[in-house]
Amino acid sequence: MTTADTVLSRPRVRVLATGGLTAVRRHPLIVVLAAMVLVFQLSTGSFLAPANLSGIATDAATLAIVAVPLALLVISGYLDLSVGSTLALGGLVAGRLASEGQPPVVAVLGALAAGGAVGAVNGVLCCRLGLSPFIVTLGMLTAVRGLAQQLFPLPLSGFGSGFAWLGGAKIAGIAAPVAIAVLVLAAGALFLAFTPSGRHVFAIGVNREAAHLSGINIRRMPFALFVVTGAAAALAGAIKASVLDSVVAGTSGAGFELAVLTAVLIGGVALTGGSGSILGVLLGVLFLGGLQNGLTLLNVPTFWQQMTQGVALVAGAALAYLAPRTGR
Amino acid sequence: MTTPNLRIRGLTKSFGGVKALAEVDLTVPAGQVHALLGHNGAGKSTLIKCLGGAFPPDSGTIEIGGTTRTRLTPRESIAAGVAIIYQTLSVVDALTVAENIFLGQEWTRYGRVDRSSQEKAAAGLLKRVAATCSPRDRVGDLPTGQRQLVEIAKALSRSASVLVLDEPTAALSGAESDALAARVEDLRAEGLAIVYVTHLLSEVERLADAVTVLRDGRVTHHSPVSGLSRGDLVAAIAGRPHQEPARPAPGPARPAAPPRLVVDGLHGPGFGPVSLTVGAGERVGLFGLIGSGRTRLLETLFGRRRAGGGTIRVGERTVAPARPSRALAAGIALVPADRRAQALFPSLTAQDNVLLPTIRPLARTGVRALHAERRVFGSLAEAVGLRPARPGLQAGTFSGGNQQKLVLGRWINSARHVEVLLLDEPTQGVDVGARHEIYQVVTGLAEERGTAVLFASNDPEEVVALADRCLIVADGQVIGELSGTGLTEQALLSAVHAPAPTADAASDRGERPDPGGPTTYGAA
Repeated sequence: MTTADTVLSRPRVRVLATGGLTAVRRHPLIVVLAAMVLVFQLSTGSFLAPANLSGIATDAATLAIVAVPLALLVISGYLDLSVGSTLALGGLVAGRLASEGQPPVVAVLGALAAGGAVGAVNGVLCCRLGLSPFIVTLGMLTAVRGLAQQLFPLPLSGFGSGFAWLGGAKIAGIAAPVAIAVLVLAAGALFLAFTPSGRHVFAIGVNREAAHLSGINIRRMPFALFVVTGAAAALAGAIKASVLDSVVAGTSGAGFELAVLTAVLIGGVALTGGSGSILGVLLGVLFLGGLQNGLTLLNVPTFWQQMTQGVALVAGAALAYLAPRTGR
Repeated sequence: MTTPNLRIRGLTKSFGGVKALAEVDLTVPAGQVHALLGHNGAGKSTLIKCLGGAFPPDSGTIEIGGTTRTRLTPRESIAAGVAIIYQTLSVVDALTVAENIFLGQEWTRYGRVDRSSQEKAAAGLLKRVAATCSPRDRVGDLPTGQRQLVEIAKALSRSASVLVLDEPTAALSGAESDALAARVEDLRAEGLAIVYVTHLLSEVERLADAVTVLRDGRVTHHSPVSGLSRGDLVAAIAGRPHQEPARPAPGPARPAAPPRLVVDGLHGPGFGPVSLTVGAGERVGLFGLIGSGRTRLLETLFGRRRAGGGTIRVGERTVAPARPSRALAAGIALVPADRRAQALFPSLTAQDNVLLPTIRPLARTGVRALHAERRVFGSLAEAVGLRPARPGLQAGTFSGGNQQKLVLGRWINSARHVEVLLLDEPTQGVDVGARHEIYQVVTGLAEERGTAVLFASNDPEEVVALADRCLIVADGQVIGELSGTGLTEQALLSAVHAPAPTADAASDRGERPDPGGPTTYGAA
């Protein structure tokens, strides 16, 4: 039981602190991110160059598009490890439709449908049948990869100029993937803050039984989030296919599930559910994207890059543990 | 007379200014069974936990086997020879009986667990407590009675000299209770000092040599059992000064109140058939011991459990709540007994906790009405007397009483139309001050809005303070009713203890004379 003292002192500190300080207190990652930018800029001299920044943004965009719905899913107490394979499937479906001459909109819709279907399977197994999300989505990670390779045994490429628009076009000077990511981030933040369902996501993640007894439908929202996460992964796949103008069923998106989960967790979303924020996810995505980019600029070998990412995750977990939990 | 095995003197323990124990003395000589009685919250579990080293007392001494101490750690308590068998057993289901008995003190040979010796020794211990299970059985597969004996065997393996049993028969069948009573008598004969916590007076009469009654953390009665009548015990538990609490002259208060909740022949696993009626603005208690089926009845009314049959009517409408959201739509709300597990969102804010079911009804075209939320929270916080009334504070930082106000606040809000309020142990883990505030809120709700209140409690004081009328529940059935001036703590305790003491009821459990004919109790 907390004593009266801590009850009283916390808001007082909050009153004294400025808004910025509060943000730093809640998201110590801001400081780490700033330090990282500084170090990379000083050591490379080109980290903050516009061309490099837009490269980081484009890389981070696919991560962010999936990280937002995945974060919501984790906040509600679930998990999706299958997004790497779903990303491949989405890219393949979109690529095939595009190379058959379908308009880009149809290609993207096809990818969304395929990803949504994978998410729906995850959702039914986890939310309806109550199976462990870890086991279900780990199985789906393998199964969907197998399905993708069975359906698309050969690499796809040459999707045409129409489809290239998805990954290459500039909207008011911003690359299309970045624009989409910004929309997804904004939608996620608004959803959490301003909709009743956003509150329900937290409630379900903190105490599923209490949420159930409060009359909240504890299956519908997580199910919807599984579907959205699957669709988002497929959309990210379509974007990647468009950028690269090729997809390979065996390797596309391999390891993506771990990267996106790392970003979400570094961003302060608790794996136990019930806590996290979209600002944190944005920081996590930028941190991970910036780290990869900076280390590449410094010609750090790939294996060292992997090691750094792993260390960052554990350090991030320690930071999140030391920082106050972000319940709102 | 030998030196007492356990002697507690002047034990005092406060929690945030509330005295849970005040100058408590308890002496149990070797070879005696000492019954510890008292209401929920009287201080029994605090006393046991001090003895077990779970928390240090503020002052006082604990003398075990001649060594006097002022504080104990759990490890020291065990080393001193204290074994506590809590209601929620602490056996490990996945391990075998022998592994459980020697958990933490494994016998090893060449660095490996010596299974065969352990099992041989376990067999001896099991024989001593007359357990029928084998040392190789997986504990999770055993019935509760056997698991309890495994824990007692574990205590014996550590050569405990003081054995504390915390309501040991609460979860046992009649036959298992009888078997346990025989074991307790054996252990007394072996010279153990036994502290026996119970609600059942029949067990006190059968087993105990002496009895201590706690009330509000103080010893209110202490004597040998012989020569003590059941009436004396009931009076000691209820406490004479509280015999006439400020009960508004009851009488036929609302003879014209239309029935708001009508339950007819409702049954399900572990209870029923139950028929009852709660009028508009009426507060009806369900009084009975733990395991009497009250919680199941309430949870079935709320749609958390599926009913086996019977009908539920709210006002004129027949409802079949298949899940809580349906029950809520029909105007039935529940404040569950286990706040932490079933009601509270500790890491969310006070405002989110109170408004959770209301955010959607308040919202406009899918967007939260933030100003309205803040305003509604303010009025609800005031209505329930929340302290501190800060919307942004995490619910987990509030005291137990204020946490319960947060949960209660959920359903007293006019944006949700609650016609029937079900409460399960409404003041469990709530301090005395907040308890009365909660009673006032519930009473106000019934009187001002005509909400029908049905609450379950095993605290007679609470029933007398809160209920217009009380149904006595045992074995999942309504076995009696008390109301008006007849509703007193003594009458409640007698009603539960007198007619069929659990131990005796065991034999006729098979062929119940009246196989639960659905008697209708109610205002109608």
